[in-house]
Amino acid sequence: MASLLQPDRVLYLVHGEKKIRSPLSTLYFCRYCSDLRSLECVSHEVDSHYCPSCLENMPSAEAKLKKNRCANCFDCPCCMHTLSTRATNIPAPLPDDPSKTAMKKAYYLACGFCRWTSRDVGMADKSVASGGWQEPENPHTQRINKLIEYYQQLAQREKLDRDRKKLARRRPYMPLAFSQHTIHVVEKYGLGTRLQRQRPGAPITSLAGLSLKEGEDQKEMKIEPAQALDEVEPLPEDCYTRPINLPEVTTLRQRLLQPDIQPAGASQLHPKHKHLLIKRSLRCRKCEHNLSKPEFNPTSIKFKIQLVAVSYIPEVRIMSIPNLRFQKECQVLLTLTNPVENITHVNLVGCEEGDPEDINSTAKVMVPTMELVLAGKDAAAEYDELAEPQDFQDDPDVVAFRKSNKIGFFIKVVPQREEDGDVTVSFKIRHDFRNLAAPIRPSEEGDAPTEAVWLTHHVELSLGPLVA
Amino acid sequence: MTLLMLRRICNRSSKKLKSINKMSDKQSAQKSAKIAAGAVVCVESEIRGDVTIGARTVVHPKARIIAEAGPIVIGEGNLIEEQALIINSYPEIITPDSLFEGVEPKTMTIGINNVFEVGCMSQALKIGDNNVIESKADLGRNMILTSGCIIGACCQVNTCEVIPENTVIFGSGCQRRVQTERPQPQTLQLDFLMKILPNYHHLKKTVKTSSAATPAKN
Repeated sequence: MASLLQPDRVLYLVHGEKKIRSPLSTLYFCRYCSDLRSLECVSHEVDSHYCPSCLENMPSAEAKLKKNRCANCFDCPCCMHTLSTRATNIPAPLPDDPSKTAMKKAYYLACGFCRWTSRDVGMADKSVASGGWQEPENPHTQRINKLIEYYQQLAQREKLDRDRKKLARRRPYMPLAFSQHTIHVVEKYGLGTRLQRQRPGAPITSLAGLSLKEGEDQKEMKIEPAQALDEVEPLPEDCYTRPINLPEVTTLRQRLLQPDIQPAGASQLHPKHKHLLIKRSLRCRKCEHNLSKPEFNPTSIKFKIQLVAVSYIPEVRIMSIPNLRFQKECQVLLTLTNPVENITHVNLVGCEEGDPEDINSTAKVMVPTMELVLAGKDAAAEYDELAEPQDFQDDPDVVAFRKSNKIGFFIKVVPQREEDGDVTVSFKIRHDFRNLAAPIRPSEEGDAPTEAVWLTHHVELSLGPLVA
Repeated sequence: MTLLMLRRICNRSSKKLKSINKMSDKQSAQKSAKIAAGAVVCVESEIRGDVTIGARTVVHPKARIIAEAGPIVIGEGNLIEEQALIINSYPEIITPDSLFEGVEPKTMTIGINNVFEVGCMSQALKIGDNNVIESKADLGRNMILTSGCIIGACCQVNTCEVIPENTVIFGSGCQRRVQTERPQPQTLQLDFLMKILPNYHHLKKTVKTSSAATPAKN
């Protein structure tokens, strides 16, 4: 019966730029807008960089310099696992007395998963445990750097031209000093802030972040264009007759993970530094409040701000489904859980005919018409023996059971289509929400501190296939 | 002195009886395990059928070595860990024509310095030296491992082929690659286990070398 608890069985509809249906566990709730938000209607911002194996935090500037790679950790070029450093004792001649040999420690990199070692590609053992390993130099680095600098300048010049054109139109309204300042400010921060979202039609915006430092003179850079060659290196003569040594050929994945070298043979696969991961914070696009902000420390999984939907919206879950038969009325048992600490009133409303949000349902549903009352979530309830159970007069036809902040209720489903797919029903759930985030207005002291706002959500349930 | 001589005569005659019994046993299929001296085989391990275990081999408790369809010969210096299953069983598909009499008993040979990690299952008829079969790996009957092969964890290899030397099979898709050096024999681990296991487990009796040695004692 664990399949009934799968998250994609119960979907909530999010009203955003796109109508997104996703389980409540993946949604966020903006309590300033009092609305559900999904990952696609929030803006993602990079908080910090860290290495997944050594959990070392890295400031963003340093991460950019090191191309988002960790300095200490390596990835196996064969299976992309993390490499570990192993030590062996080798006899080495003492520096003072060449005739005597002493045991010295030599370190090499080894993969625990595919048993690749750094000796396989001919990398000599190093005498220091970390920091001795170098990635091979890319022969084209100089040319690439020159090209990047040239295009950086080009992008900046084009941006200046564009801004000058815009300012030329608006000159009567804006002083010149202000316009120069905005250019510098906007360029210094680059992409990522709200000031500089991707604007369609903007030229080479990806390079706009690589801005020149303030005060640097704009040198005119010239690059040599790439020269086309007439003669191409011919294939070796035994290209078609030489038998392939299959273990030596690298897979496409192994090859493309090192795009600068792209070795064709396994004996040229050098380990690469491990890629950094990011911690990101989410921000509501409408009210610009933070919805999710993780802690800075990479070893901590907690959040400074965590406005997830499951802690504000009552959650519907499927508890048991009888055999669903075409055009026969069946009773499905659902549970409703109250995540907040105060009593919540829930009204269920079926979808009307021609509801634009109701596109997936394949069955008619009869939801209970009475208001369901959910008790507040009390963390100490299981330890408090003297507390008397609250008495809510429950209609036994509607409410199957009640357990602290959870309630089980019946809905009647009549499948309407005899097709092969799942039976899907949808209804609207309307509950009261007390906004604790809103500031208390000092003028109205007589009122209740928080007023209830009634929120409506569209819920879709996938009940499984029909039984013949 | 006479008492000693009497005791020796009794021993010699009892040994003769035992050897006579053994001769009669040899005519029927040999059902006992022959464990060489120096091997450490825990009592809790299950050894069924005609199994020969070489010296310096360590068999952990709950390991199972089952010789149903033929004898198993295990060499020296092997390490067979818990819940490992080495089984010489009948092939799964037995047509009504080839009944049990028609199937010849084939000997399963396992070389030296192999490691059978926890929970692995090996049905391969021929395993060479210095191989490592990692946890929960599954070897089919028609495989032949040469030396230095490593069958990765949870890899099911059931083809009919000879695995070349120093091959590593790893990953969910059973990718292969060749490593440049063979895995090292686990001598340190074997020594440690041979010291520690007898402290906590009873061991199966090893077979003494030969009765020809005893007259030399006189």
